[in-house]
Amino acid sequence: MSNSFDFSNFSRQSPKGVLVIYINLIYKVIRVSWLLLFLLVKDFSKVSKIGANYIYLGLALLLLFLLARAYLIYKNFQFKIANEHFILKQGILKKTNTSIPFHRIQNINFKQNIIQQIIGVFEVSIETAGSKDTEIAIKALPLLKAEALKELVSKSTEFNLKEIIGTDKKPLVRIGLKELLKVSLTENHLQNLVLFLAIVIGFFQQIEQIIDSLGRTEALDGLIVESKNVLSVSFFFVLIVLIFLTIIALLSSFVKVFLVHFNLTAYLKDDSFEINQGLFTKKSIVLKKQKIQNITISTNPLKRLIGISFITFKQALSGKVNVKKDKLIRLVGCKIAQVEIIKASLFNVTELEKGEKIYPNSYYKRRIFAFTFLFTISIYLVLYLIFLHVEILYAAILVFPIILFLINKKVKKRFYKITDSMLLVGSGLLETHLTYLEIFKVQNIKMKQTLFQKRSNVADIIFQTASGKIFIPCVPFEDAIKIYNHTLYKVENTKTSWM
Amino acid sequence: MAIFSNDLVLELPDIKKIEFIKINKNYLKVILINLFLVFSPLYIGLILLHQLVFTKEINEFIIPIYSVFTAVFGFVIWYILLSFTKRKYALREKDISYKSGLLIRQITTVPFSRIQHVETDEKPISRIFGLASLSIYTAGDSSDDLVIKGITKKKALKIKEFITTKINE
Repeated sequence: MSNSFDFSNFSRQSPKGVLVIYINLIYKVIRVSWLLLFLLVKDFSKVSKIGANYIYLGLALLLLFLLARAYLIYKNFQFKIANEHFILKQGILKKTNTSIPFHRIQNINFKQNIIQQIIGVFEVSIETAGSKDTEIAIKALPLLKAEALKELVSKSTEFNLKEIIGTDKKPLVRIGLKELLKVSLTENHLQNLVLFLAIVIGFFQQIEQIIDSLGRTEALDGLIVESKNVLSVSFFFVLIVLIFLTIIALLSSFVKVFLVHFNLTAYLKDDSFEINQGLFTKKSIVLKKQKIQNITISTNPLKRLIGISFITFKQALSGKVNVKKDKLIRLVGCKIAQVEIIKASLFNVTELEKGEKIYPNSYYKRRIFAFTFLFTISIYLVLYLIFLHVEILYAAILVFPIILFLINKKVKKRFYKITDSMLLVGSGLLETHLTYLEIFKVQNIKMKQTLFQKRSNVADIIFQTASGKIFIPCVPFEDAIKIYNHTLYKVENTKTSWM
Repeated sequence: MAIFSNDLVLELPDIKKIEFIKINKNYLKVILINLFLVFSPLYIGLILLHQLVFTKEINEFIIPIYSVFTAVFGFVIWYILLSFTKRKYALREKDISYKSGLLIRQITTVPFSRIQHVETDEKPISRIFGLASLSIYTAGDSSDDLVIKGITKKKALKIKEFITTKINE
């Protein structure tokens, strides 16, 4: 594709961008002030006619102000490419000049939310591994220009991107509706339930504030107390709640999976992956293989039954790990063969597959046992002291076998394999995670040994990578030293850049 | 591209054989002064509570309270004294290591080729003794990369210089 666009001079985004920015601004205002709006709408009938006029006027002024602001933002947002750098000028009053060297660019993503889909523009975001501030999002570019920009930046970073949309190349992974259904059925529902409940609780707190301000709390409290008396003894109540929670958990899994992973297609290129997904917000991610720090292949018992697993690609992060959850790119619903292809395209795994799994020293099991039992016993103690009923201890009959079972699972899933250049770490409780790491991508290495571990002559090893820690517990001390030395040797003698 | 070679390495550089250097002795004074600055307000607070707030029932136990407090203080000092000698660092041609800890022994090594930046800083009390700390950052979750506290300022700057030239090589 020849570059028909000139990026050497400053240019603005597509004029449609004003609309995108405008709607985005309105959305932000609504998000901040929805409580106020709610109250306003509710009591609107009480407002006198003149007052209503003032409110209309205020709203109109606000909308006008936002429109002006959107226009100015658009007007002042200029970018160009010069000297292997992406340069961006922005800001209405406070002018910011950002310049990113191409080789620091981690990936270029295309995104489309509903509005952008309707008016046919793409949001292009340029991600770096550096601080959050250098993240750049160009809100509205026509497809061709976006493609051209991507191509120009990509070329200099030594990976050639062929035309993406409209290629007849067969995708590596394509998840249709049926598969997506399978994926969402086998999700970790418990986790999704907790997530959903967290959102609901946050929402209810806001609602409560409204109700508070309306002075209806007493009535509601009375209702709750009343129903408590009737239902607290009822076994059916518990059953209904359980069924209700299950349905919610299932639903939230479905919604989450469908929103994020709808129409997932992944292409395998010479030195990158391209992943397209999303229902309302379409996202297209180009993932350079070289920038992938490590990958984790995960599955759970249900998923294993139908032979699928998901792959998490981890890229370099900055600052706290949790800041950028969206930098973890997940490819759901991969079949075993597809997983093999992806693995093989990233690393040389043949040696690793042949290698022997090394399980942690028996000290590891003892440590987990000791910790969990101390924990459960102290919880039981506290519960007993609070309620002073011996009956509480009956539950232990059920709880302890479950704990035993879980600990056994956890210990069994912990292993590592190490070859000259690769490390594989297995972990998980109910889910199984296999993390693959090229040893030379380690940033620094740490070894820890407590007094108890010293007695058993074992040590923990912690690999710090650019995308988080990888932990190998309780390796025999001699082996730990060997791994430590080998890792340092590998890191210091590999010329390949780690990102 | 260079010709692929993978010679058998008979002797890996061994972390066990490095000679570690202890940090400056004066830093012990710094730690103790800092500890004193934390504990003395607590102690004064306790005395004030004893004199002004506590009821008679609590004051019956005042001697155990004081002794527990003193014991904690003593234990912390004892632990610091013992663990202080375990704080060591080592500089090699291609990496820097730091180890510490009495109950939990830790050793961290950062290869120069992965260092993002190096920082030295002097806290007020350390400055009295002419000491500084050296922090080394790598990419990723940079919360607990390598920090060497309590080396002379001169040495800190020297190491910083050394690392900087190594990075730019």
